[in-house]
Amino acid sequence: MDTVRRGISHNARSALFAPLDQTGRVEAVTHRLVDAITLGLLADAEQLPSEAELATQFGVSTVTVREALVSLREQGLVETRRGRSGGSFVRAPAEHTVIPWQARLRMVTLSDLRDVGDHYLAIAGAAARLAAERSTPEDIARLEMATEDIRTATGAEASRAERHFHLEVAAAAQSPRLTHQEVLLQSERGALLWVPVGHQGEQETMYAEHRAICAAIARADGDLARKLTEEHILDALDRLAELHLSLVES
Amino acid sequence: MNEPRTLHGDEAVEQVSALVEGVFDRLKPMLATAEALLSEAGTAHTADLDRIRPQVIQAIGGLIVGAGFVSAPRVLADQEFGFEWWTSSPDGDPMQLFISLDPASENFLDYTRQSWFTVPRDTGRRHVNGPYVDYLCTDEYTLTFTIPVRHKDSFAGVVGADVFVREFEHALQPALRSVGSRAALVNAQGRVIVSNSARQATGSLVRELDIPAWWASGAEPLSADGRTLRRCGDTPIALLVTRP
Repeated sequence: MDTVRRGISHNARSALFAPLDQTGRVEAVTHRLVDAITLGLLADAEQLPSEAELATQFGVSTVTVREALVSLREQGLVETRRGRSGGSFVRAPAEHTVIPWQARLRMVTLSDLRDVGDHYLAIAGAAARLAAERSTPEDIARLEMATEDIRTATGAEASRAERHFHLEVAAAAQSPRLTHQEVLLQSERGALLWVPVGHQGEQETMYAEHRAICAAIARADGDLARKLTEEHILDALDRLAELHLSLVES
Repeated sequence: MNEPRTLHGDEAVEQVSALVEGVFDRLKPMLATAEALLSEAGTAHTADLDRIRPQVIQAIGGLIVGAGFVSAPRVLADQEFGFEWWTSSPDGDPMQLFISLDPASENFLDYTRQSWFTVPRDTGRRHVNGPYVDYLCTDEYTLTFTIPVRHKDSFAGVVGADVFVREFEHALQPALRSVGSRAALVNAQGRVIVSNSARQATGSLVRELDIPAWWASGAEPLSADGRTLRRCGDTPIALLVTRP
């Protein structure tokens, strides 16, 4: 089997669990898990996979995982419970220690943003075109639900709804590769694309854009679906670049 | 080539039917255990799902790369969602799959919107979902076979099994090739699952025939304009043969 099995909850995090080099393994495993918890990729109270599963996913021994978990427990980031419903559970740090997206956005450069944007445009644009070719009424219904989600969402929920919409489009394209790329982009810099900027009327705009993309896909108009998706992403990039500049200046 | 049996694709139809029924048969012990535990427990709790594990693990193997029970919302007393799913692993021991079940979590994805869940819920019938990109569980191009689980005359969830599309193709491509003409297996939405031609790619939609309408009107064998369409046994899969 050439398939890499990923047992942890959501594939957005699979990149975090790619096999590691055999050097400094305990530190490396600890580091990955600390990052995942402080960046909020692993949610508070979420159960971690078993030591054996983590060991398989990281490509290290269970002893290494156990040592890393000891270190995480000492840092108060993981809690281990015994018994039937036992296991290791995430304890998200207090709000101030989580790296806020503002800090991350401050650190990126405009050339970086442009590059991520180009990649995102290629992936999401192609996915939208293929989704228009390949969507059944069932797929359209799911896309419409994902579109409606953003209407009532606020803050982090809105950002999740954004990401989920694009994930659904990639899945509707029937392309596992484009879906993987979408997920990877969302788990690294691309995640910044959909931060809740909080401009007046921003959410209405996002909702209207999603509706238009969804309608183009439903009409099997691949060229339009692609064009609208690209414009949607370029607009998000513009907002992000402006915000980056205002953060750097302040 | 001129042998009528292969021309009509009987062999392909029989193989698809046998393969699909084989997968559904592997789900039956899980179904029985799930329904028994729901009715015996009075009110079932998350911890009770442990009892399905032996049947789940037994179902995995061969074409089946993942299997489990997924509850309908609020069927369990202590948790809104219930998800007991295991997958095969490279070293052979099945692993449990954890997904976020907390609607407030950043990574929560609502499985009650997935067709492998909604179709058995809404039709009361077993379902073969896909081919679809299963971003929730396998991360792969997948077919998911599901059967509705019932408790007190209402829908209580599904038991299901995952099969990779590529493995399904491996198993059935020889039979499709033996059909002689261009042949494709299509699902009830008219989506190509496997075909013996690059012109009719997996995942694409057949647009020259209204296959959803044909299913809705009883899926009786159809022969017109050099095309034949017939259902593979009692499965929700049909064989479409196009004469050159």
